[in-house]
Amino acid sequence: MKMVLAGAPPSDTDRERTLLRRARTGDPAAFRWLFERHASGVWRFLRDSMRDEAAADEATQETFVRAHARLGTLRDDDRLGAWLLGIARRVYLESLRQRGVHVDVEDDAHASHVEAVLPTPTPEDLLLDREMEGLLAGALRTLREDRRAALLLRIDHGLPYEEIASVMGWSLQKVKNEIHRARLQLREQLAAHIGGRP
Amino acid sequence: MSACREAELDALLAGELSPEDTARVHAHASACPACQHALAWLRAERGWMAQRARRLPERPALDFTALEARLRKREAPPAPRRLEWLYWGRMLTAATAVVAFVLLGTLQVTRIPSADEPWSQHDPFAAAPRTVEWCDDPSREAVAALEARVGACLVATPLLPLR
Repeated sequence: MKMVLAGAPPSDTDRERTLLRRARTGDPAAFRWLFERHASGVWRFLRDSMRDEAAADEATQETFVRAHARLGTLRDDDRLGAWLLGIARRVYLESLRQRGVHVDVEDDAHASHVEAVLPTPTPEDLLLDREMEGLLAGALRTLREDRRAALLLRIDHGLPYEEIASVMGWSLQKVKNEIHRARLQLREQLAAHIGGRP
Repeated sequence: MSACREAELDALLAGELSPEDTARVHAHASACPACQHALAWLRAERGWMAQRARRLPERPALDFTALEARLRKREAPPAPRRLEWLYWGRMLTAATAVVAFVLLGTLQVTRIPSADEPWSQHDPFAAAPRTVEWCDDPSREAVAALEARVGACLVATPLLPLR
């Protein structure tokens, strides 16, 4: 017999809250649903940070193992995505420390007056073909590590600026400044391929 | 364009602004060429990232069964670590032996007389606390008297008979 629910179906956000509560009580099916909803985003964030798909695999699993153990510490059920990405970032930074990798802080003075000479993207530019995807990946790689992470949290994962501040441990103003600079650098890299592509 | 202005335009596209702020920013942007330019880039970036996210490759990390196995392993009670107990048992025995050796050595340490001191003038047991039992040598006084008489230290006398 098919069950008919009255009223509007629950949104994914409502469902996530419900399943989060069940996962906290040890329901494996609920945790599986949360994993399947968020694992791809976490993996993508780690792949973009680590630039290594196998390392991103391992770090994704480690992120969810930690999340499973600490699910009870998540205070705001609406912030699960940001919370997971915050754990993922810590896992990534720990892997850097373990490998003795130093994250450099480059001088970004050159990014100040770029905006004035940028072309405006046309509707044709909105299509991400293979060439453009490669250019975008290359441009992202040139960004400073923390700046790239902040930009991706915004434009790829859609986190509000306040949540990015929480994940990165920055002030709200710093988040806005860093994302703005990251965008200018990214656009500078892509400008030659925008507005006149065949 | 300032970082704050761009963040407002970005929030406008994401639908994060209140109705009042949406109306205000929208009204400004529609008459501002710089904001139109920034909005075109913001739309392009959002579109590219959305297309990129849809092209995610198949990865083993995204399979829940792999994670499940890892969680089970973590939750399982630790198996008895026999070898580890054996190792620590050996370490404890060795440490006990060292401590016992040092303590016994401390109790038995006495001042060793120099070769120039006559045996009769220095009794190695006289100053030492009588914490360790020793056998009194009844010939000790006789030896001392003999040493005094001949003016020589009989301690240097070899134990083995001279050939």
